[in-house]
Amino acid sequence: MQITKLQQMLEEAKKRPKKRLVVVYANDLHTIEAVNEAISMDIVEATLTGDETKIKDICKQANIDHTRFEIIHETNDIEAGLKCCDMINKGHGNIIMKGTISTDNYMRCILNKERGIMSGKGVLTHVSVIEANGYGKLLIVGDVAVIPQPDIPQKVAIVKHLINTAHCLGNELPKVGLLAATEKVSFKIPSCSDAALIAKMADRGEFKSALVDGPLALDGLIDKESCDIKGIKSPVAGDADCILFPNIESGNTFYKTCSKLLNSELAANVVGAKVPAILSSRGDSSLTKLYSIALAALTSSN
Amino acid sequence: MSTITRLDQLVERVKNLPKKRIAIAVAEDQNTLSAIDEATKMGIIHPIMLGNKDKIISLCKEEKINHSHFEIINFENDVEATQEAVRLVRSGEADVLMKGLIGTDKFLKAVLDKEKGLLPPKTVMSYVCAIEIPKYKKLLFVSDTAVLPFPNLDQKIAMIKYSVNMAKKFGIEKPKVALLSSAEKVSSHFENTIDYATICKMADRKQLPECIIDGPLDLFLACDPESVKIKGVPTPVNGEADVLICPSIEAANIFYKGLMLFAEGELAGLIQGTIKPVVVMSRSESAKSKLYCIALSCLMSED
Repeated sequence: MQITKLQQMLEEAKKRPKKRLVVVYANDLHTIEAVNEAISMDIVEATLTGDETKIKDICKQANIDHTRFEIIHETNDIEAGLKCCDMINKGHGNIIMKGTISTDNYMRCILNKERGIMSGKGVLTHVSVIEANGYGKLLIVGDVAVIPQPDIPQKVAIVKHLINTAHCLGNELPKVGLLAATEKVSFKIPSCSDAALIAKMADRGEFKSALVDGPLALDGLIDKESCDIKGIKSPVAGDADCILFPNIESGNTFYKTCSKLLNSELAANVVGAKVPAILSSRGDSSLTKLYSIALAALTSSN
Repeated sequence: MSTITRLDQLVERVKNLPKKRIAIAVAEDQNTLSAIDEATKMGIIHPIMLGNKDKIISLCKEEKINHSHFEIINFENDVEATQEAVRLVRSGEADVLMKGLIGTDKFLKAVLDKEKGLLPPKTVMSYVCAIEIPKYKKLLFVSDTAVLPFPNLDQKIAMIKYSVNMAKKFGIEKPKVALLSSAEKVSSHFENTIDYATICKMADRKQLPECIIDGPLDLFLACDPESVKIKGVPTPVNGEADVLICPSIEAANIFYKGLMLFAEGELAGLIQGTIKPVVVMSRSESAKSKLYCIALSCLMSED
């Protein structure tokens, strides 16, 4: 069944076998609260790395039973990150999550050549699942946070991750729109020719179980009426499940317009490593953190 | 009107059209004389020969050609003869321009002259030839075999427009256009395939003249339905291409010469982009192909 609301992700994740979540430097209340909630919902079991004393203090103050977590004492943030990677490489973790370690250091741990959790030439990219009011289904979008100016091979990788996420959320034939400023192809606008190229790759069977088209402007992607008025014929027209952004500026602006201006709830993961990585920021609500854990639980293959 | 599928049908079609006035620049040219004579006898052209009158007449005598049905205007200087030929076409006193015994550089200089020439500003000049080979059931319109060395996206789009326009003049309502490459896969490492993908999407968005277009395709997928089946690549061209757009002049030129040399090919080719047809024939073309080039110019000068 296709998941059309973030709440349904929680329901679906509850039904599945529990995943093991490892948290890098979990010395903060927001993270611990979200993990605790996910444990209560039977979505995950969790290992927290970090300053054991601090973690226990935070739990005490928030009335959380710290024995629900496995705690591994480590006072160096990077070492905490690498220990989490070690656990994943040994098969003791299915999801990695960021605590108070800086994003840079967190990513460095994931990418570490000896102890990191990349496999082969995987492209590390950010996938967000947004519940925009009135759209009627979830929008799976990327990359709003990690790759600033994706080249064509990176865009292809992003599209594949979007499609995979949609499949994991029960959508067997997601419609992927390649965003540009217009549906007309202009070779003066690189996003248009990149989109045309990727659309042709789709014609040639590059993407399995998905309909991919672009360039399309945002209205062409999500508004059927605009498509009718403009006479746009596209398998994606007005009904996109996934959106590829041409660059991080457009992606990040869309993401923040939804979350900050329109109060949309969302979930987000970094994908492309051996396991989904949660990269929530302090600014995210604890609900977003919980949804992100559920998303990771649904997309984690182990 | 029925579709022209063989070049002899092209000649037959042109016979039914009003006779075209063809201005031949520096006409003292053994290379073109017999083709002009034949076309004149068929009643499809009225030749206006510009060049050295004595030489033209003596050449006709050598070739046992009756020069009395030729209009000959004497010019001692080849550049002046060419400029006058261009002027005749530009003013509408002639319908077609043809290159005689003058270097291609000098000839094109007059054609491309900004004030007095035949190419509108910002127009791409290109070349399309219609090729007939016994092994393919219809004509192939191939571009660009002669003018654009490494066509960029703009130029490729112009090549498509010209080829489609020519195919339509032959009665093909919705020409099937194949954008040729070495394989059907698109890759950012192959710049041509990026152009091709862009062009296909432009066609989807109705930014091109009406045609069925796909690419990149290799020649098998473009022209052999059996290969399409075997490879399982869904393509609307479906092994039945009318138009072949080549990635470079090298590819196009080698392809067409291969057909001429090894596949009993004949052709009719024409410069494209000019306000009126311009015929430039190579010495190595067969007598038949030379006649077909002239016939093609007559067809294409029809509005």
